[in-house]
Amino acid sequence: MAVLEVKNIRKSFGKTNVLKGVSFSLEKGQVLAIIGSSGSGKTTLLRCLNFLETPDVGEIWVDGKLLRSGSEKLSEQQVRENRLHFGLVFQNFNLFPQYNVLKNVMLAPQLLKKGTAKELEERAKQLLDQVGLSEKLDSYPYQLSGGQQQRVAIARALALSPQVLCFDEPTSALDPELTGEVLRVIRGLKNADSTMTVVTHEMEFARSVADVVMYMADGVIEEIGTPEQVFGNPQSEKTKAFLRGAHEKF
Amino acid sequence: MFVQVTNALLEGFWESLKVFGLTLLFSIPLGLVICFGSMSKWAPLDFLSKSKDSFFEKFKPIQWLCKGLVWVVRGTPLMLQLIVIFYGPGLMFDLPLLPRFTATIVAFSLNYACYFSEIYRGGIESIATGQYEAGQVLGMTKTQIFFKVVLLQVVKRIMAPMSNEIITLVKDTSLARIISVYEIIWAGESFIKKGLIWPLFYTGAFYLIFNGLLTILFARLEKKLSYFRG
Ligand SMILES: Nc1ncnc2c1ncn2[C@@H]1O[C@H](COP(=O)(O)OP(=O)(O)OP(=O)(O)O)[C@@H](O)[C@H]1O
Ligand SMILES: [Mg+2]
Repeated sequence: MAVLEVKNIRKSFGKTNVLKGVSFSLEKGQVLAIIGSSGSGKTTLLRCLNFLETPDVGEIWVDGKLLRSGSEKLSEQQVRENRLHFGLVFQNFNLFPQYNVLKNVMLAPQLLKKGTAKELEERAKQLLDQVGLSEKLDSYPYQLSGGQQQRVAIARALALSPQVLCFDEPTSALDPELTGEVLRVIRGLKNADSTMTVVTHEMEFARSVADVVMYMADGVIEEIGTPEQVFGNPQSEKTKAFLRGAHEKF
Repeated sequence: MFVQVTNALLEGFWESLKVFGLTLLFSIPLGLVICFGSMSKWAPLDFLSKSKDSFFEKFKPIQWLCKGLVWVVRGTPLMLQLIVIFYGPGLMFDLPLLPRFTATIVAFSLNYACYFSEIYRGGIESIATGQYEAGQVLGMTKTQIFFKVVLLQVVKRIMAPMSNEIITLVKDTSLARIISVYEIIWAGESFIKKGLIWPLFYTGAFYLIFNGLLTILFARLEKKLSYFRG
């Protein structure tokens, strides 16, 4: 059964129709790579999943549970509960500058009373080890490179054990030589069977890590399939043009 | 003579410091209330609005009230506000006068709360939305986000403008004299009748020393908060 099921999400900002009916589903442990040109609605889609935006229409299901039904009003409490099925890693990390690395990871689980201080610290250390930062527990965000900051952000998102972890261009704000370390961590998560949705411009990464590749154009899914299908044998003219462009760029 | 003058001035300065301390005590939290008020989006008649940008949608009474208050308080001299708060209730509504000292504290607290509220607002609005969103996607409540994520960053950013205002407040306490509240300038001036002008000049030393101490205190606080950037 699908972990994540998204049905006919529509979203407009004023007169701009950003998402024009997006539906897809994702099996447990699968990685979905979302590609598409600027303004096609990729970020908006992730923000709808994470309850940062309310879709106008559409449903979001996780593990057979309806979390979002159109623009139906949910209580703040309900939003908080529902969004915990998802995690989001931002393009520009958004770490909390006043806390050290360990505390950045521990803060939310602590506030949500997910365990004793000792348990949470153990878990946070283990996660930071997983992203290769056990040496940096006491550092503050400004003392870290972009790649390190992004890895902390990943550990922070993992600390709440979301069913679906979303990444919005996790390497776009990084110097090219730092993207590798972040992509390696994401690859590692795939091996640990996390279900993930990654918006990315890294075609090589999408091709090698994703189980499903989705090409978005103008608020619709123009093409979706296995990497072999989408990259190797694209059906739509738009996809072909986009991939040609991407190929030239990278 | 010098000792006698110093003692008299110290007594006057103690009164100045009382105005200073009490004003801070009340205006710092009151400023936060006004700040939240002026950021309030509560639009009780929104349900009546049929189109975007209608009057009903824009009718935000709390925000209007707070912004109006800030406009009036920042747009008029503190000296005038002191006079209005002290004499106004009696002249306009036949109410009993507030004690002079109380009226002073009310006027000063209100005045400084309005200035502080604008500093707070600037600080809060300067925090990137990404900080709030990071808190949100981690399942924090609004209160948790404010206190655990945003507040310390705001405090750090408003340290410099706040210390400016607070140092201004030390000097502004001399305005209380306008409604006959005893303070250090008055204490200094009273020696003029005895033919001494230097005690008035000497009051400056008290302000200078006290503000010097405040400056050191603020520098320490800023240093304390310098362990992070953001
Ligand atoms: N809060 C908003 N208000 C108004 N318009 C918005 C808002 N958020 C996004 N948009 C618009 O929606 C469209 C899609 O934006 P979105 O950020 O989802 O695109 P994207 O695919 O993530 O692009 P990019 O690759 O540049 O990140 C854009 O035209 C954008 O201007
Ligand atoms: Mg985007």
